[in-house]
Amino acid sequence: MTVVGGAYDAVVVGGGHNGLTCAAYLAKAGFGVLVLERRERLGGIAETVEIAPGVRSPSIAQTVGRLRPSVARDLDLRSHGLSLVAPAVRVFAPAADGSAVVLWADLERTVEELRRRGLAVDAAAYPRFDRLVRSLGGFIAELGETTPPDIASPGLEDALRGLALGRAYRGLGRSDARTILRVLAMAVADFVAESLQSDALRAAVAWRGVRNTSLGPWSAGTTLNLLQDAAGNDGGAAGETVFARGGPGALTQALASAARSFGAEIRTGAEVVEVVTNAAGQATGVRLASGEEIGGRAIVAAVDPKQTLLRFVDPVALGPTLRWRAGNIRQPGTVATVSLALSALPAFTAADGDERVLRGRILVGADGVDALERAFDAAKYGRISDRPVVEATVSSLIDRSLVDGAADGTHVLHAHVQWTPRKLRDADWDGCRDELGDRVVAALERIAPGIGALVTARRVWTPLDLERDYGLTGGHPWHAEPALESFFLWRPMLGYARYRMPIDRLYLAGSGAHPGGGVTGGPGQNAAREIARDLHRR
Amino acid sequence: MPARYDAVVIGGGHNGLIAGAYLARGGLRTLILERRHVLGGAAVTEEIVRGFRFSVASYVVSLLRPEIIRELDLPGHGLHILPLDGTFTPLRKGDGPKGGDYLWRVNDHPRTVRELRRWSLRDADAYEEYGLLMVEMAKFIKPILGLLPPDPTGWDPREFLPLAGLVRDFQRLPAREQAVFVQLMTMSSADFLDQWFETDPLKATMAASGIIGTYLGIRSPGTAYVLLHHYMGEIDGAFRAWGIPKGGTGGISEAIGRAARAQGAEIRTEAPVARLLTRDGRATGVALADGEEIEADTVVSTADAKVTFLDLVEPGLLDPSFEAEIRRFKFRGSSGKVNLALEHLPEFTCLPNAEDLEHLRGAISLSPSTDDMERAYDDAKYGRWSAKPYVDIIIPTLVDPAMAPPGKHVMSCFVQYAPYHLDPSLGSWDDNREAFGDTVVDRIAEFAPNIREAIVGRQVLTPLDIERTIGLTEGNIFQGELSLEQLFFNRPVPGYARFRTPIRDLWLAGSSTHPGGGIMGANGRLAALEVLRAKRGALAAVGAGR
Repeated sequence: MTVVGGAYDAVVVGGGHNGLTCAAYLAKAGFGVLVLERRERLGGIAETVEIAPGVRSPSIAQTVGRLRPSVARDLDLRSHGLSLVAPAVRVFAPAADGSAVVLWADLERTVEELRRRGLAVDAAAYPRFDRLVRSLGGFIAELGETTPPDIASPGLEDALRGLALGRAYRGLGRSDARTILRVLAMAVADFVAESLQSDALRAAVAWRGVRNTSLGPWSAGTTLNLLQDAAGNDGGAAGETVFARGGPGALTQALASAARSFGAEIRTGAEVVEVVTNAAGQATGVRLASGEEIGGRAIVAAVDPKQTLLRFVDPVALGPTLRWRAGNIRQPGTVATVSLALSALPAFTAADGDERVLRGRILVGADGVDALERAFDAAKYGRISDRPVVEATVSSLIDRSLVDGAADGTHVLHAHVQWTPRKLRDADWDGCRDELGDRVVAALERIAPGIGALVTARRVWTPLDLERDYGLTGGHPWHAEPALESFFLWRPMLGYARYRMPIDRLYLAGSGAHPGGGVTGGPGQNAAREIARDLHRR
Repeated sequence: MPARYDAVVIGGGHNGLIAGAYLARGGLRTLILERRHVLGGAAVTEEIVRGFRFSVASYVVSLLRPEIIRELDLPGHGLHILPLDGTFTPLRKGDGPKGGDYLWRVNDHPRTVRELRRWSLRDADAYEEYGLLMVEMAKFIKPILGLLPPDPTGWDPREFLPLAGLVRDFQRLPAREQAVFVQLMTMSSADFLDQWFETDPLKATMAASGIIGTYLGIRSPGTAYVLLHHYMGEIDGAFRAWGIPKGGTGGISEAIGRAARAQGAEIRTEAPVARLLTRDGRATGVALADGEEIEADTVVSTADAKVTFLDLVEPGLLDPSFEAEIRRFKFRGSSGKVNLALEHLPEFTCLPNAEDLEHLRGAISLSPSTDDMERAYDDAKYGRWSAKPYVDIIIPTLVDPAMAPPGKHVMSCFVQYAPYHLDPSLGSWDDNREAFGDTVVDRIAEFAPNIREAIVGRQVLTPLDIERTIGLTEGNIFQGELSLEQLFFNRPVPGYARFRTPIRDLWLAGSSTHPGGGIMGANGRLAALEVLRAKRGALAAVGAGR
């Protein structure tokens, strides 16, 4: 371990999953690393919390199906306690009339299910659509693993990267290559409509193009989000549904354990307020809220880019143009979460007593593409939809350890709620926390009558909580809106997509960097590669 | 009349006339065939109410390529463009903090800045900076309009050579302009404008030019690009050089028609083409509706992609995958047009006509707030015309009094949104034409109550009417949506963005092709030049073989 002159090789700001991933990779490469987490707990929004005595639940992030397999492998997360469980069902989307769309991990089972429900045309089309999503998602995955090329002064490496991507692109074959160029910027509603007929099935797939965004299925570019969601893990048209045993917090604990095992130090309750620069304008360390200063050869911000550039960095050093640009990074948070402790497993009408379909993602209020769009409409005018879209998981069906301290039969249901705009027009979030909880229970009541009576404890996280408690500017769980304007070469800003920020020796490793949000470890892994290269060169 | 032609052009709209003129200029014996009795397609002037003449569909001009005006000597053939000055946004009482006021931007830049200072000092400063930036952006993107899109699935590096210059030019832009260019290509017009402006009616009115002709709202990603599309016209002449042709937009078509004839092209009206003639997979001419067959070496269609490939081409001739892609090409017309014959001028409550009529001489934009604009779109998404539509109004008689009897006026109202596909519960557009017209008049009356008593005649064009009379599929004024996935090398179908079609000797030259719609003419000209180049290539090959 090399701590030269009291300074670390890398000081990582933020102990969320990307910060920890980046730290673990750097420590594994032999660098001296310190992680600083503002909160008392590690994990950021990938954590497990106790919402009632003996009942543990995810707070914000629910599942970990998009974690890059290479991260788990390289850091040997299994030996650090990570255990993943993938149920046979991926999505259960019940409608109030008792019908439902059910997508299974097994393609043939899904096809059979669609046929059984009278969707013969879609049953026939689904395998082709699934193949298309896998193929296009595969290319997006390669893109995700690539550091965006330097377009200002391209070097040999950039040329090689370009060639590799060109090969991947050609590998799609003529038909898919043509398709991907046409569909990337398309509205996901149009994309699914090209292959599928049933409105409910379209909605169940299209949802993945708008999850975590302030966009509706008719917004251009949402197909790209669907493909991003399908990138890397072979989720196909149904998408991945994978739980970490012990909740999402178990993943971040495994990451922290791995980082420590490679020699990284981790401090919690350590709030960074400033990135310290020297006379040459290079980042040389950080200052904590306590006044303590810690030196580092590389400063790695695994927090959102706006906070990094506007709060931590000296405005004079950044300059007015970059401040204007950073200030315009859009972070319109529209996600809230609600966690319910239930005295018994609720009866979902459309499940017809079959508990197996409840083990994946339960999609509520997405009865059709227009239902998604209408829920989004409300958010445009600063309101919460009367019919919010909810993606729920009952993780206690998978992992009884989450409720092992509670009464027998207890279950925990966690709901991701959209669209709940961070900026409400005629209300403030602290004032409508309960209203939101009530609306979510009401939405669940429509498809699982009687669920309200089973609720023994409830906890609500509003977009304001995401901003205030988790430090996400704008309350955006993905740090910067995953829209076309913030992709690859221009995520978070054109010219700064290569993890190197405008201040020399300051790096970005959070979800605001390429390839963006989700519990993937991608930005942290990619950033570590670039930081290690720079540290070796110096 | 000769037995056969070198080239037959289907459609006497502006692109057809321009293509025909260039083909004739290149020495080809050319015939242009127009279905209707009048030339111009969407750019026509007709007397709908006795004594009142209207630019029926297309109503302003700014994008017409200057090289076309020059090369075809259109002024010499009678083209006379009268300037339109300014955009006037009236507000009703209750429209935001300055309800009952108005926002009025004119070509005189210092005056506009003074006006904006009434609203926001910050916006007045930003307006200056924004305008300069957009002109830079338009300068950068303009060469793309004259560029032949590559075939990105061609695997041939040479395909991308034309793009190399563009990449170089991009690299030479300052970093901020590079970033803004990327934003223009990806963002919504409302989000894009948010970066500069805080005055809501200003943002709403500016953003409106991002949605014209699209089935998108001002908050939909991809609309910022359309903002730029509308700025293109403003860089060739004066800043914001919008105008109306003397005699209405039909005046343009007549001038181009005369220019085409002067180059030697023949033009026939009331000659609807029923189908394409082919032999061994090659186009050999056209058959008219009355059965007459006209032979030609080359057929250039300026009908839209759907009409050309699905109506005119005999079924089974096209490769099924190509045909599927054409069926996928999205039209979804979203706009209507209401033309009013007026006894007297409307009077907007926020600025009475007593003193001066200057504010009525430009565009009058009913776009009081960004929410208003977005709600108008929300209605359309679910298959209804906007209850409170965005209306872009021009009163041509204020600059061209000959369009109406003395003292009277014509008023052109472009209306959005009017979705082609209505919710089934509403029935067809034929059942709703007058109700739609009433909605538009009611909307105008919110701002100018005396409009009702001024109306002596009205023509309502729904998207269905636009499809029927002008022949534009689903009433899309751009012959296909200008959405991101339908631009450049994807327009109309990847691999066929260079005017050639899978059928030999059949070419496409209308707005369904790159660079899209508007009275721009670039499509017709570029396509004609490609046809001529291909012909010369073929001749050279024959010559070499001898």
